[in-house]
Amino acid sequence: MKTNIKNANMPDSYSEKDNSARTLQRDALTFLFAITGITALAFMFNGILANPDVNITMFYIVGIIVVARYTNGYVWGFLFSLLSVMCVNYFFTYPYFTLNLSLEGYPITFAAMFVIYIITSAMTSSMKEQSRILAKQEKELMEIQKEKMRANLLRAISHDLRTPLTGIIGNSSSYLKMEKELSDADKHDIVENINEDAEWLLSMVENLLSVTRINGDTAKVNKSMESVDEVVASAVTRFKKQYPQAQIKIRLPDDVVMAMMDPLLIDQVITNILQNAQVHASSTKPLELTVTDEPSSVSFCVRDYGVGISQEKIETIFDGVGYRRDRDTSADGYKGMGIGLSICKTIINAHGGKINARNHGDGSEFYFSLPKETEE
Amino acid sequence: MVQKLSVLIIEDEKSICDFMAKTLVSSDCKVMSAGSGKEGLTILTSSLPDLVLLDLGLPDMDGIDIIKQTREWSSLPIIVISARAQEKEKVAALDAGADDYITKPFGTDELMARIRTAMRHSNKIMGDHINSNRPYSAKGLTIDFDKRLVMVDGKEIHLTRVEYKIVSMLAQNSGKVITYSSLIEQVWGPYADDNNRILRVNMANIRRKLEKSPGEPEYIFTELGVGYRMIEDENIE
Repeated sequence: MKTNIKNANMPDSYSEKDNSARTLQRDALTFLFAITGITALAFMFNGILANPDVNITMFYIVGIIVVARYTNGYVWGFLFSLLSVMCVNYFFTYPYFTLNLSLEGYPITFAAMFVIYIITSAMTSSMKEQSRILAKQEKELMEIQKEKMRANLLRAISHDLRTPLTGIIGNSSSYLKMEKELSDADKHDIVENINEDAEWLLSMVENLLSVTRINGDTAKVNKSMESVDEVVASAVTRFKKQYPQAQIKIRLPDDVVMAMMDPLLIDQVITNILQNAQVHASSTKPLELTVTDEPSSVSFCVRDYGVGISQEKIETIFDGVGYRRDRDTSADGYKGMGIGLSICKTIINAHGGKINARNHGDGSEFYFSLPKETEE
Repeated sequence: MVQKLSVLIIEDEKSICDFMAKTLVSSDCKVMSAGSGKEGLTILTSSLPDLVLLDLGLPDMDGIDIIKQTREWSSLPIIVISARAQEKEKVAALDAGADDYITKPFGTDELMARIRTAMRHSNKIMGDHINSNRPYSAKGLTIDFDKRLVMVDGKEIHLTRVEYKIVSMLAQNSGKVITYSSLIEQVWGPYADDNNRILRVNMANIRRKLEKSPGEPEYIFTELGVGYRMIEDENIE
C-alpha cells in the first residue's frame, strides 16, 4: 500500500513543490510544528493519563490528520506516520529513549498505527486533491463563459458600429462625388444624416469606454459618495442635448439622497435607458424618471407609454446579443440598444445593484437600484 | 473689438485642428496652430496669443506641463480640450491653472461660448474692478452682491450664509467651471476637510431653493467628477 501511494503520487507532489519553494517551506514548517507540538503535548499528558501509550497514539492520529490536511501531496503525511511510530516507540514505551520494535505485543500496535496513519493521510490528501480539481474545473468553466461573452459582445459591437459608419461613409462619399448636381436641400439632408450617424456612433463609443472604468479583474468600480440629484440632472442634460424635442418628467425625493457610485457610470446608465425609451418605445406621453429613496437602497425608474416589450425579449433584454426591439416597425431599426442595455447591466452589477425591465400595461418600465452604503 | 482676437491651437489631430481653425476664422479671429507641445510653447512665447486652446493628449509632452510652464509668466486664458471620461485629468489641468475645459466632441457654438467666457473673465482681471461687483442676472435669477440679495423671478430667496457664499462664487465666475476643491477652499477655508459630501448637500439644498426642477437645472450645472458651472451672466458687454 505504501509503495502504491508513493509511486502513484510522488511525481505529482514533487512537481507541485517544484512550482513553489514557498509552498515547500510552508509545508515543512507545518510538519515541524505538528511533530514537535504533538510530542510536547504527549510528554505533558504522559504523567497524567492512566493508560499513556494508547492515548498518546491518539495524539499522533490527530497530528496525522492535521498534517495531511495542511500540506501538499502525500510525502509529509507519510513522513509523519513514520516519525510518529518511531517517536512513540522511542519516547513513550519501555525501554524509554531506545528504539525497540521487538517488544512483546508492540509490533502489532505499531503496525496498526502505521496503517491508520497511512489511510488517514491518503484519505485527506485525496479529498484535498478532489476539491482542488473541482475548483479548477469551475474556474475553467467560468473562463469559457467569459470568453463566450466577450466574443458575443465583440460581434454585437462590430455590428452596431459598422451600421452608422456605413451611413457616414455612404453619405459623405456621395456628397463628394455629386457635389455639383445636388440641390441645397439634398446637401442639407446628407450632412444631417452624417451628423445623426456620428452622434449615434459617439454614444456607442462612450458606452464602450465606460466599461473600461470597471476594474477587469475584480469587476469593481471606483465609488464615491454622490448626490443623486446631480447624476440625474447630468444624465438628463446630456439626453436633452441629443434629443432636444424629447419630453421628460422628473421626480426626485424631497430630501437630499446620497449614494456610493461612480457618477459617470450611473450617468451613462440613466442616459442609455432614456435613449432606449426615446428611440424604441414611441411613447405617447412624456417619459417619466422617478427616483425613490428606500431604507437600504435608492431606486431609479424610467417609465414610457409606448409599444411595450414582448415577453421573450424581456428575458434577454439585458444580455446584449441579437436583441433588436421592434425592428420591423421602426425605420431606423438598426439602432438597437443591445450594447447599451447590456452595459447598463454590467455597470449596475459592478455596483452591487439590480436592474430589470417590465411592462406596465401602458408601455414599459426600466428600473434599477443601488445599495446605500456608508463611505469607506 | 477692434483688434482681432488671436488664438493659438495646440492639437496634434489635424482634422480637429482644421475644424477649430475654420470656426475661429469665420468668427473673425486670428488663428495660429501647433501640432506638438514644443512647437506650441515656442509660438506661445514668441507671438503671445490672447488665448490658448490646448489638447491634453499631445504626443511629445504632457499638456499639464505646458499649463504649468505658461503659468510661470502669463495669466492668458487657457482652455483645455479633453475627452469625457478623463475627469481626473480635467481637474489636474484646472488645478494647474487652466481656465476652463471643453469636452470632445464639441460643436462650434460650445467652442465659441467657452472662448467668450474665458476672454470676459480675463478682461475682468485686467481692469475694471468697478464692474466686478455689479449684479448678476440670467433667466430670471438675479444676484445683488452689494445687498447680498438673491431673487428668482422677482421673489427673494433665502439662502444660508454658506449657500450664499457658494452661489456668489459661482455667479462671479459664471460660465466657467469651478472645481469642487476650489469651491471648498473658498467657502470653508484652506484647512477644510476635502470631503465633497457637505458641498453636495449644500448644493442640493441650493438647487431646491433656486431651480424649478432640480432634475433639470437651469442655473447651476454639474460637471460630474469635476465641479459646477453657473449659467453665463446675461448682461455682459
